[in-house]
Amino acid sequence: MKGDMYLAWSSDSEILNRSENGGIVTSLLKFVLDTKRVDAVLAVKARGDDRYDGGPVLITDPSELIETAGSLHCSSPNIARFLKEYLGGAFDMKLAVVGKPCDIRGTIELVKREQVNLDNLFLIGLNCSGTLSPVVAKRTIIEEFGVDPLNIIHEDIEDGNLIIMLKDGTEKTKDLKALEEKGYGRRENCRRCEIKIPTMADIACGKWGTSNKKATFVEICSDKGAELFEEAIKAGYIAVEHADDKAIKERKEKEQEAIESALKWEKTDFAPLKNMAIEEKFDYWWGQFSQCIKCYGCRDACPICYCKDCILEADRGVVMPGEVPPNAMFPMIRIAHVMDSCLNCGQCQDACPAGIPLTRLIFMLNKELYGIFKYQPGVDVASRPPLRSITDEELTIPGVELVF
Amino acid sequence: MNENKFEPKIVGFCCNWCSYAGADLAGVGRLQYPPDIRVVRVMCSGRVSDLLILNAFAIGADGILVAGCHPGDCHYLKGNLAARRRVMGLKPFLEAIGIRPERLRLEWIAASEGPKFAETVMSFTQTIKELGPSPFNRRRNGH
Repeated sequence: MKGDMYLAWSSDSEILNRSENGGIVTSLLKFVLDTKRVDAVLAVKARGDDRYDGGPVLITDPSELIETAGSLHCSSPNIARFLKEYLGGAFDMKLAVVGKPCDIRGTIELVKREQVNLDNLFLIGLNCSGTLSPVVAKRTIIEEFGVDPLNIIHEDIEDGNLIIMLKDGTEKTKDLKALEEKGYGRRENCRRCEIKIPTMADIACGKWGTSNKKATFVEICSDKGAELFEEAIKAGYIAVEHADDKAIKERKEKEQEAIESALKWEKTDFAPLKNMAIEEKFDYWWGQFSQCIKCYGCRDACPICYCKDCILEADRGVVMPGEVPPNAMFPMIRIAHVMDSCLNCGQCQDACPAGIPLTRLIFMLNKELYGIFKYQPGVDVASRPPLRSITDEELTIPGVELVF
Repeated sequence: MNENKFEPKIVGFCCNWCSYAGADLAGVGRLQYPPDIRVVRVMCSGRVSDLLILNAFAIGADGILVAGCHPGDCHYLKGNLAARRRVMGLKPFLEAIGIRPERLRLEWIAASEGPKFAETVMSFTQTIKELGPSPFNRRRNGH
């Protein structure tokens, strides 16, 4: 039933061995593929043996699923955009999609924009305490841990620590906050992300609440998820026990702790931008935007940008062809079009070759718009993006500003 | 340009059905208001997209007035409501990138409200004169 919480583990010993925790995600994927509930599975896999190069893969053969078991913390593939761009938004195939909270939320935002068909999707969400960009991860491991990055077989973020495990089985731990203050550690957007448990998916899976047992903590978040999970238990793919109050409490506490740290980072990141005088803000941002080389990377990476015929293209008469840096319209239109639904996924900032802190600006604006419209992007399929929708009730509100 | 003699460029997007008629009424009634406003007639305030507002700023507007019908009076039923949300959303954006949100104003002006049009233009021009040239213009003029 929706809202149920379980401790669960895979009945398949190979999956259990290879997986991060209880192997539930891989087992569920195997179950839906074996029983032909879906045509394919969209998951993430390391290319070759490189832990720092994880990319989205479409799997139709259940025997290949084992390669996707285990978590990769040092890559942040763009699942929502991939789903829309290369898989036709799941309009003509049934898919099970695995993703971090930002991937799932991106998918839901695209559903609202009619770019993805939710009816054809099983969304399996993973708890996420942040990802590292591959380059920074390698630098962190070399410069702070003094280890060869190729020697790492596993990394994890737990209780505010970054933990790495070497091939010979030794574990090394460092305080994440101290690392991040020195410029190492997680991606900037991840450290201020407050959505750690993807309850907007059909099933949310994670480690918190398992007390380091070899099990996955599962929260059933929709009726579709409940049905799938019960069928998988019946078919013998997974074994479960109900999560007791202690486990639920432990999970809640860990989530709370992570959220508090996120809010602190948010303050640290936004304070300099907010405290500038207005003239300084203009000089700062236009100084940043003047470094733009108009690669369109931010637009192409953004899970929310979906126009087939983008107004920023050279033939639309707004941004002149061959002009670098582009005129003021380029950054302004880009930001104005996505700011009400920014997910803080960090893809635009990752993509930017000029290092413009785009996510920082857009997510800061999103937070301010949240204050006005109370709209949290990607959480509820039924709520509409506030700058692109109106309600009948507003007809009777006379002023030039609305209060929500 | 001497700061005292600053004559702002103000763009007024007026909807065809209410605000443009209101402006017309102000003219017919020979009401005095500053000549700094350049009125652009649009069919509906809902037509005034992010693109129009931001482009006007980028090419040198010191202030932008969006004027539409009162809620419930829109010829197209809900166009003005879209304009309201849009302007509410753009203000924090403008502020974040260094443009004072006061430079963008939304007003409801009905066809019968000639005096309100004149007053709005007067007070808005005053506001913009106090704020000075827009940062885009300041940068263009090498300040």
